[in-house]
Amino acid sequence: MADLSVSLCGVKLRNPVIPASGTFGFGREFDEIYDISVLGGVATKGLTLDARMGNPVPRIAESRGVILNAVGLQNPGVEEFLKNDLLWLRGKTRVLANVAGRTVEDYALICAKLDGLVDFVELNISCPNVKSGGMAFGIRPETIREVTAAAKASLKKTPLIVKLSPNVESIPANARAAREGGADCISLVNTFTGMAIDIEKRKPIIANNTGGVSGAGIKPIAVRMVYEAAHAVDIPVIGMGGIACAEDAVEFLLAGATAVQVGTANFTDTLACPHIIEGLNAWCDNHGVKSVSELTGALKLN
Amino acid sequence: MREITATVLENKKIAENIWSLTFSAGDDIRIRCGQFAMLGVGGQQLLRRPIAVCKAEGERVTVCYQLKGEGTRRLAKEYKAGETISVLLPLGNGFYVKDEEQRVAVVGGGVGIFPLISVIREYAGKKHISAYMGFRNKRALCMEYEMQRSDKLVIATDDGSVGYHGTAVQAFMEDLEGERPDVVLACGPTPMLRALKNAMTGKGIPVYVSLEERMGCGIGACLVCVCDRTDGKHARVCKDGPVFEIGEVIL
Repeated sequence: MADLSVSLCGVKLRNPVIPASGTFGFGREFDEIYDISVLGGVATKGLTLDARMGNPVPRIAESRGVILNAVGLQNPGVEEFLKNDLLWLRGKTRVLANVAGRTVEDYALICAKLDGLVDFVELNISCPNVKSGGMAFGIRPETIREVTAAAKASLKKTPLIVKLSPNVESIPANARAAREGGADCISLVNTFTGMAIDIEKRKPIIANNTGGVSGAGIKPIAVRMVYEAAHAVDIPVIGMGGIACAEDAVEFLLAGATAVQVGTANFTDTLACPHIIEGLNAWCDNHGVKSVSELTGALKLN
Repeated sequence: MREITATVLENKKIAENIWSLTFSAGDDIRIRCGQFAMLGVGGQQLLRRPIAVCKAEGERVTVCYQLKGEGTRRLAKEYKAGETISVLLPLGNGFYVKDEEQRVAVVGGGVGIFPLISVIREYAGKKHISAYMGFRNKRALCMEYEMQRSDKLVIATDDGSVGYHGTAVQAFMEDLEGERPDVVLACGPTPMLRALKNAMTGKGIPVYVSLEERMGCGIGACLVCVCDRTDGKHARVCKDGPVFEIGEVIL
């Protein structure tokens, strides 16, 4: 029985496995299938100041080894989350409140509402599926620094995770910008902007035309980006992108991640996260690894 | 709601482009009529396919599907008897008929007939059921023996090759004056449901429809499969539905 616990910004997680934002709601539905207190934490559906309706349907499509989605941040708003879901979720596991805004002020306001109430705030500056805000903040280092600093100024107690977009020129530059803005942790990757076409109709399948690509097929690119980010900054990194089994998670840990998030795999198998946790334990035992945290950054380059 | 590794008992073609897959859930499973299952097709397809349950008897569950794309073609080709398949079920709310509703009309088109067969199986002998089932043509016709459990059966084909020449909705509306049902349950392509909604407006008979949408998780977490409600909000087809009162949703 290996020690699976990890420490992230001074907060102890039971294990390094966290369902990724947008694939898990606020955890209630999955909790009908398994007790989600087995998880290291839950990254919530992206929260905005006011409720949002999201994009028209279809919001999802498939291509070999990947899926595309453009939900467009449908959510009940941060107040409804605080009122209806937070207490319940906190009683289960660590809460990473994923937040998105249209303006820098939005981000600061949402963070102020969540400060001290959640275990982490995860700043979503990388949603590819909304017209304003979202990814607009996550492309250039200057805006990343600005929005991170504004969020950080609102957070007196809660550590700040900045979630980076892969649709950028330089991951190291953007990771450093988040660090300079005051981020306590970095998570990546969000989805890659993509398109899938219905050739009979000669139209994109997703109503939004483009969507975020995720799933097994993006994993090698995500591992490379996590490696780059982890070696650019001295703050912890949460890695994600196509993780579907324990061995995938180990790759991300070796590349430099302290914890991992699992998204698309929750759709292929609702028990993906518990399976990865069990698998990590078995893998560590089989490889003489006493604590999973030994794996973080233990990569040996050729 | 359970995540299971089911064993395929039978997977066969039953009509043009239509296949029927029966699996064993391992032990007895209670499934309401109109509920659905998510079936993992494996390979490079990461999303499971939401498919209505057609029959459920003890641990045996049958779903019927149309060959449409890579996923359903894989389902037909790779899952022979004895293979295992990842299944999440039962999902969604399903159809309910109230105690006071004695006369039930079911109106189905295309693959929409399969969840209605589960309705017929659940209520046959307990309610008076009139079934109006629409097919493209004779080659698409299947599961007649199941539909014949209803008290009255009208089969409609678009080309008139069997039964009533026209749509299931047209056949149903022609009968409506003579035999007024207490409730109507329907499933089929959106244009068919729209036609039914228009025809039934102001008739004072409750109509429930089962909707279809591209899904992600199938359990209400990912908010991919929403539909528009008439009150301006969204509903999740997988969790709040797939069955809705027809006036509750915009078709």
